[in-house]
Amino acid sequence: MTRTDHLYIHVPFCKTICAYCDFCHVVYREETAERWLKRLEEDFAEIKDEGYSTVYIGGGTPSSLNIRQLRELLDIVRPFSRKTEEYTIEINPESIDEEKVLLLKEYGINRVSIGLQSSDERLLKLMNRHHSFEDVRKTVELLRKHGLINISLDVLYSLPSQTMDDLKKTVKDVLELDVPHVSLYSLTIEKGTIFDRLGYQPLDEETEADMYEYIGKELTDKGYIHYEIANFAKEGFQSRHNLGYWNYDDYRGMSCGAVGKIHHKRYTMTSDLKDYLEKKDIMEVEDIATREEAFENIMMSLRTIYGLDLKLFKERYGIDFTDEYKDAIEKNKDHLLIKDDHCICKDGEILNTILIDFIKE
Amino acid sequence: MNDKIRNFSIIAHIDHGKSTLADRILELTDTVSKREMVNSQILDSLDLEQERGITIKLNVVQIKYKAKDGEEYTFHLIDTPGHVDFSYEVSRSLAACDGAILVVDASQGIEAQTLANTYLALDNDLEILPVINKIDLPSADIERTKKEIEDVIGLDCSEAPCISAKSGENVEDVLEGIVKHLPCPKGNADDPLRALVFDSYYDSYRGVVVFICIKDGSVKVGDHIRMLHSGTEYEVTELGVKTPNEVKRERLEAGEVGYLCASIKSIKDVFIGDTITSVERPCREALPGYRKMNPMVYCGMYPTDNNKYNDLRDALEKLQLNDSSLTFEAESSKALGFGFRLGFLGLLHMEVVQERLEREYGLNLIATAPSVVYKVTLTDKTEVYIDNPSMMPDNTLIDHIEEPYVRASIMVPNEFIGPVMELSQNKRGIYKDMVYLDDNRNQLIYEMPLSEIIFEYFDKLKSVSRGYASLDYELIGYRQSSLVKMDILLNGEVIDALSIIVHKDFAYDRGHKITVKLKELLPKQQFEIPVQAAIGNKVIARTNIKSLRKDVLAKCYGGDVSRKKKLLEKQKEGKKRMKAVGSVEIPQEAFMAVLALDDDKN
Repeated sequence: MTRTDHLYIHVPFCKTICAYCDFCHVVYREETAERWLKRLEEDFAEIKDEGYSTVYIGGGTPSSLNIRQLRELLDIVRPFSRKTEEYTIEINPESIDEEKVLLLKEYGINRVSIGLQSSDERLLKLMNRHHSFEDVRKTVELLRKHGLINISLDVLYSLPSQTMDDLKKTVKDVLELDVPHVSLYSLTIEKGTIFDRLGYQPLDEETEADMYEYIGKELTDKGYIHYEIANFAKEGFQSRHNLGYWNYDDYRGMSCGAVGKIHHKRYTMTSDLKDYLEKKDIMEVEDIATREEAFENIMMSLRTIYGLDLKLFKERYGIDFTDEYKDAIEKNKDHLLIKDDHCICKDGEILNTILIDFIKE
Repeated sequence: MNDKIRNFSIIAHIDHGKSTLADRILELTDTVSKREMVNSQILDSLDLEQERGITIKLNVVQIKYKAKDGEEYTFHLIDTPGHVDFSYEVSRSLAACDGAILVVDASQGIEAQTLANTYLALDNDLEILPVINKIDLPSADIERTKKEIEDVIGLDCSEAPCISAKSGENVEDVLEGIVKHLPCPKGNADDPLRALVFDSYYDSYRGVVVFICIKDGSVKVGDHIRMLHSGTEYEVTELGVKTPNEVKRERLEAGEVGYLCASIKSIKDVFIGDTITSVERPCREALPGYRKMNPMVYCGMYPTDNNKYNDLRDALEKLQLNDSSLTFEAESSKALGFGFRLGFLGLLHMEVVQERLEREYGLNLIATAPSVVYKVTLTDKTEVYIDNPSMMPDNTLIDHIEEPYVRASIMVPNEFIGPVMELSQNKRGIYKDMVYLDDNRNQLIYEMPLSEIIFEYFDKLKSVSRGYASLDYELIGYRQSSLVKMDILLNGEVIDALSIIVHKDFAYDRGHKITVKLKELLPKQQFEIPVQAAIGNKVIARTNIKSLRKDVLAKCYGGDVSRKKKLLEKQKEGKKRMKAVGSVEIPQEAFMAVLALDDDKN
């Protein structure tokens, strides 16, 4: 169980920059991407792990690489993806074509996550997204044509100026595509993003809560399992990679902007591409104290409907959950369910408030 | 009689450059080296004083100055606080002096506290040397400032030094002026000992350290002394002067200002203003002491964590050792548990005490809204004093209520007279007089309830006059008013710590504002909370805080675990500053909210 089972690779390039994004990103340039691939190859040369059960290539926009570079990237990862059960890549509709899809298939990628964000043209424009809902529909068809059926859509809601009707339309469009997995995130306006710099305000809490409730009801009505606060899947299509995070397994993160956690240490890679390329202060390593890690585990695991595995918790940290957090559990007894050696949060929408009681002084 | 000694204070309106001048004097006379000056404003030794640029506790320093006449003089500079809250301490330090330097900012002219402090100095029969400061500012108007001082205060300014304390320009003239214009102490070293106690602090090794000014006679280590007021007797164990470091001396004599230790166990045994004399050769008559000033403003202070009650008591006891004007007694609140009722000289004093408790003693505190002391006459004609609104007797038992009134003096340029008068009227002020100081400046006199001054009058005064108006006030006694107690209910429960006393005519308006403000300040909880304002059983205003529906920033990419955790930890920190009252968590600011309502979103 100390085996590191999950691998994340961050591709920092994008054709254009989305207004909400604060992940590590730079505008794609061919030469920079070349240099980045060389650097990544060096880093991978040092890894001795046997292989990972899940691999996730995220970004940024991995599909913004050209076909040759994409092949090079997949070649670099190949030694580690042989036994992988779930191999995901993130793509955007404007940078994918049939040739690239065939390449993904060739290298064993079996799950594709598409950035949709909204089906409303006005809101897409506001977010500085350069595709339409039609483009997404075509991408889904293209993937299915080549047998890539495990498709996930990323959607954002609670966008500046978004109305409930706007959201209903997007949800309806999403349901029509009938993909097996949808992630619906409520927008947070992060410091330094375009939204932040332009002074956009988030929607009021009441509307956001209305939207959250609407989404939950619509998708579960259509047979999706609301298996994590922001994630919905048809049975069997839950993201194993993400379940790894929520189970708080160890995971390795590669390239700038990535984070990993291995053997009670957290590795945070610089989010400055230039530093990464020049090997300057590329990594911050932090020891995670047992109690801290235990809390982080609770924080992650209570997000899913499967909850916190109390036996595993005891095994990992030597801490008896019901004993150690007696007061916090009692205080939140209306929101928590403890049965079959698991602790489950019934009201994920107020998880923050509940978690605060689990923080030790 | 020692004609080579000068004992003086520097008096000024806040920010007119008092501490800067003191620093320059210390530097110019090599009392403190330039290097030590780096930590500027030596006399302000409390952290808070340096941070806020105000002087709270007075301090004394001995300075040697070689004058142009070739003689060496000994100066004792006794620092005074500049804020209106601390006028009691000002009068204490002035009583130890023979003269005072009046610093006036050449770009501002005379302000309310310039006048108030000058009158205090005149009351103490001090010679005053006017000094025009900040002459390097482009807006400085030296002639006009001189004329104002001559016209308004009646001080001759023909020889007033015109200086820049900041750059040091002409500060030498101040030193010469002290020698030339301020008198030397009048006492006689051969007479029986008479020393004025003007300050004290507690030192865990030496007991109480008493600051004294020897008016007559002399005292040496080993002498037996008597405190005339308390009648207690001690043997002197240590004497010294401050330069500003303590320098031990075997003997102090008439005219000198220094400190004395005599194994005095408790600060309560020392009365500020008391006279010290010799047991063997007592003086005939005590020096004129001064009246102890009573606290004007009270508030409750409670630890957010009930287990910290004893820590708070210990901290208050320690703080009181150095601040005899602070009073406290235990009280309890249904909402807040066990805490203390504290009495202060004013609002700044209250803020300073709260900050020191939190910062120096690491306590998390809830302070209730400040209150004045009401004089309540019951129907059976007995009188009670109420300093805590929640203790106000039931309306049916009250015959009438009186509240403290002050005479407020406001200095204001012509263009702001209108807004200042309107503000004062709205604060139940009664117009008394307007004095023209010069062609642009006026002194407005109002009588108004002290409680209204507490309700943001000072801040509002600054804002309606764009900072140009200044305020000073003095208590003038109690007057009957039409007052009622207003309770605030959260979730149907009276929160006693939120009760306030309001004027009947303002009750509806204030009740409405408080409920709206609390709705903004209280975090949403897991259930809906009605917020009500009530007089007796009658609810006069109501808002609802809707229940919390969603709080998760649902975005959670694997990597942001640590960021998310930090966010939660920050929220947890914020919660520490909240008080759980029944099932409702109330943030610290909410208890002050009943005060800060007058902003009207302007």
